[in-house]
Parts: sequence; structure tokens; C-alpha cells
Amino acid sequence: MKQKPRILVVDDDVDLVAVMKGTLESKAYDVIVAYNGKDGLEKAKKEKPDLILLDIMMPVMDGFNFAEQFSKDPSLVKIPVLALTSFSDSLGQPFPFQVSEYLRKPLKPKDLIAKVEEHLKRQSS
Amino acid sequence: MVLKKIDNVIPKEETTREHTPQERALMLRLGVYVNMRWLIVLMIVFATLISSRVFHIGFSTLPVYIICAIIASYNLVFVRQARSLEVDKVGAVIRRAQTSGNIQIVLDLFMLTALMHFTGGIENPFIFFYLAHTIAASILLPQRRAYALATLAILAITLLVLLEYYGVIPHVNLVGFVLDTRYKDTARVVGVLVALATLVYGCTYVITAVSGELRRRQKEMVRLKDQVLEKRTMELEQASKEIVKLEEERRHFARFLGVVAHDLQSPLVATQSFISYILDGFTGGITDGQRDLLERGVRRIDGLLTLITDLLDIPRIETGQITREMREISLNEVVKRSLEGLDNVAQQKELTLKVEMPESLPKINGASRRLQQVLTNLVSNAINYTNEGIVLVRVSDNENEVRVEVIDSGIGILPEDLPRLFNDFFRGSNVSSKGTGLGLSISKRIVEAHGGKIWAESPDPETKKGSRFTFTLPKKLAAVHEEKRE
Repeated sequence: MKQKPRILVVDDDVDLVAVMKGTLESKAYDVIVAYNGKDGLEKAKKEKPDLILLDIMMPVMDGFNFAEQFSKDPSLVKIPVLALTSFSDSLGQPFPFQVSEYLRKPLKPKDLIAKVEEHLKRQSS
Repeated sequence: MVLKKIDNVIPKEETTREHTPQERALMLRLGVYVNMRWLIVLMIVFATLISSRVFHIGFSTLPVYIICAIIASYNLVFVRQARSLEVDKVGAVIRRAQTSGNIQIVLDLFMLTALMHFTGGIENPFIFFYLAHTIAASILLPQRRAYALATLAILAITLLVLLEYYGVIPHVNLVGFVLDTRYKDTARVVGVLVALATLVYGCTYVITAVSGELRRRQKEMVRLKDQVLEKRTMELEQASKEIVKLEEERRHFARFLGVVAHDLQSPLVATQSFISYILDGFTGGITDGQRDLLERGVRRIDGLLTLITDLLDIPRIETGQITREMREISLNEVVKRSLEGLDNVAQQKELTLKVEMPESLPKINGASRRLQQVLTNLVSNAINYTNEGIVLVRVSDNENEVRVEVIDSGIGILPEDLPRLFNDFFRGSNVSSKGTGLGLSISKRIVEAHGGKIWAESPDPETKKGSRFTFTLPKKLAAVHEEKRE
């Protein structure tokens, strides 16, 4: 049987991470979490997830920094990244990295699952 | 006047470095003096020829020609020296020129005295040529030096005349010009010497006074120029410091706003996610009553999130955020993107959303997402306030600007509301509005940051129904505007 797809959630909001984790685990995904960009980058390197959900505004290392570091690592660049943005974040700032898609918070659980499935399918095909 | 010509006479591009005005003035004067010497030599030769050949005045001309040759040869040296001065080091010019001037004047003085001796001493009317030295010295040298040389000149001629008077050296008589007893005529000798001395000192006084004044003014001018320059430099430095400070403050403020936005929105976003989690059934089934309340909660949070975004947008726009977001953009793209999703909304209300737009509009300099925000705002307002009919987006352009119109067949705007439409927190009195009242005021700020205009008409002048919102964008963003925003 095929292994469960592994998803890395990087967000500083503990509650939000808990909800996202619960949502995704209910659909039989393997979920790893990180609460800042630095930790997220280390986990991404170690665990090689199939998809990353990345918050843009974070302490320690924000999403921009994360993506910059991330894009330098050839073993990581192929992993799809879904960037989570709040209402007015990142307006006009060019992202230094090709993000698969921008998702605007707040995101309904159903929509989150739909997006994750869509990108995983696209990746495997 | 010699001084007035200074700047014209020595072309700046010929000097290998920039000389100060004093240096240039001194070099010019020295040059004039050296040139004058050629003329004097010629005049002496000419005068000697005339007096011996035409007037048959008897005296030995050979010593005169020898003296002329000596003068001419040392003048050659000074001509070369004057040229070398022009490429001299900064600061050394004045000292060297003055030393050279001193030597030249003293040399000339002795040559003239020798000349006078061989051409009749006191008998010779050219004795008054001592004045020439005085004048040269007064122009070239500082006042005290000029007086010293004047005194030296008087002493030299007095010494010559006295030595001849007392028979220490032989007297040369200008035969046929004056009686050979004149040099022994005490009253005449004293008279000529006193007259000469008076003239020499008088000239020195007048000329040093005038040229000293000129030099003083020149220095003053240079000082004033330096002062003005210094003041300007200080003002510029001050201004650039202030700009740096303002820019720093602006950046600080933008960071602050970023943190505020994040911290205000994060809990709301999280809360909304929790509610959605319940609504989507991840925690088990809920009753219709619970669903209704939770959905109301989600809508209220949505409204609050929009308000926070709008409130934080205003200072962002006003601190020049838009100018930094500006790129060369395609308006066709902007219009297409802003209408994404809105045709669904229009369809739900059974409205027609129509777009009239030239196939390709010229690219303009603008902030793409901000312009999308404006158009989305206008079109969703139009859809909100129209219950049947059509919402038309019409884009056109002329030589200078692009014009975007949003025309609806809706309820229109009350005449008393029209002037206040673009004010902060304004809500129409004939609508039960759900918005923040900031949408149009933000749109106005965005359009104006692009150098454009925005206005509303109701009813629409063509269809006599609903309302029409128009905004224009200049094809070339005025430079002045950009500066103002930066």
C-alpha cells in the first residue's frame, strides 16, 4: 500500500496549526508541524514532506526568508508550497520564490483539503 | 583696469590646475610688466637714435646699447619664468611671483641708474622714468615693499647725482642738449631731486592705495563666495539628513503597521478557522440553530477583518506604499483579474456584467493589485446596489489618459450624498450598507496616488438611471507626483 502523504505545516499560530493538523489528519495525511521558519526548514530537510503549508508572517524566520533558503536546496525545490497569507500581508511584495499557490486566510477546512488534494495530485501526475 | 580683465586674459582651460584669483591677478601683472620691458628697451634704442642722429646730441651711444642688450637678455629669462609659474604648485605661486617681481624691479632700477649715468645724469629729462619703477612696484608688491623700492630708487638717483656732483665719478655731458655745468648747479640738482622724490612717493601712495583696495575687495569676494558655498553645503547636508530620518520613520511606521495587522488579524483568523471546523462537521453534527449562529459569527469576523485591512491600508497608502509597488502593468490584465469571481456574484443576482475594453491598452506605470482593488470595489458596489439590469465596465483611452467607467442601472445615489461619497466612513443614506465605509475613500487615495481622478455621477448621464463611477489614470505618471510621494 502506498505510504500516507506527508504534509509539513509551518505557522506560528499554535491554535491554527492544531486546527489544520486535525483537519488534515482526518483525511489520513501524515502531518508534521513547525512553529517558525527556521524549525520548518530543518524539518523539511529531514522529513522530505510531499507538500508544505507555509505562513508568510512568522517570527524567527518569516515565510519570505524561509522560501529564500528553501529555494537554495535542490532536494527541496520540487516540493509544492502553499503560502498562507493574511488579509493585507505581502501586498505588492514580490515573493523571492515560486510558490505553487497563495491561499488567503481564513481558510475553510473543506477548501484547505481540496487545495492540498489538488496539488498532491498535480505533483504525482 | 587691469583687474577687470583678469578672468578673460588667462583662459581657465590653459592652466593645468585651478589658480586662486589672487594668483591669477599677480601672474597677469607680472606678465604685463615683462612685456612692458620689451617696449621700454625699444623706446630707449629709438630715443637714443633720435637724439644722436636727428638732434645730433653728443654722447657715447655704445654703453646705452650694451645696457639695452643686458636688459633684453634678462627679460628673456623672466619671460620663461613667468610661463613656468602657470603650472606651479598651489600656494607656491604667490611667493615665487613676488620674489621674481622684487628681483626684476631692483635689476631695472640699477639698469636705469647705469643708463642715466651714461646719458647725462641729472641733465637727462628721462630721469623721470624712475616713476615707471615706482608704478610697477606699487602694482606688483605689497605697500611696504613698494615704499621701500621707491626709497631705493630715490637713493640710487641721488647717489648718482651726488657722486657726479662731487666728481667722484666722471659726468657725461649731453653735448648740444644742455650746458655742461648744469650737473654742478646746486639749486637745479636739489629741485629736480625733490620734484622726483615727491612724484615717486606720491605715485606710490596713490597706486598702493588703489591696488590695495582692489586686492582687499578681491579677497572679500572670495571669502563671501566661500561663505555662500559653505552655507549651501550645510543646508544640503541638513536636508539630506532630514530625508534619511523621514525615510527611517516611514519604514519604522510600515513595520509597525505590519505587526499591528498581523496581531489584530491572527486571533480572528484562528477563531474563524475554529468555527469553520465546526461548521464543516469535523467535530460532529450540529443543529440548524447552532449553524445559523456560527455562520453569523463568521460573517461578523469577516466584516471585522475587512475593516482592519481597510484601516491599515490608509496609512500604508499615505506613506507612499503605492509608489513603491508601481511597475509597468497591463490594464487589460488588471481589469480581467478584478472581475474574477464577480461575474458569479452578478449571475446569482441575475444581473448582466458586461465589459467593453479595447483589445490592447498601452502599458501604464501602476500598482497592479491596488488598481484591482479599486475596480473590484467599484464593480462589487455596483452589483450590491443593483437589483435588475446591467453592470457595465467600460475602458477607453485617449492621448494622455486611460478612463475606466463602471455604470449600473441600480438604485443610484441621493444628490445630497454625492459630495461626501469619497469621505472616510461615509455610508449612503438610502442603503442598508454592510461595508466599512472606507472602500471608496481608499479607492480615491489609490487613484490619486497614480496621478488620476475619480468621481461619481447619479443618475448615469447616458441611461438616466443608476449611477456611474469614473476614474482616470495618466499614461505617463507625472514626475512631480512621484517625487511628492517618495
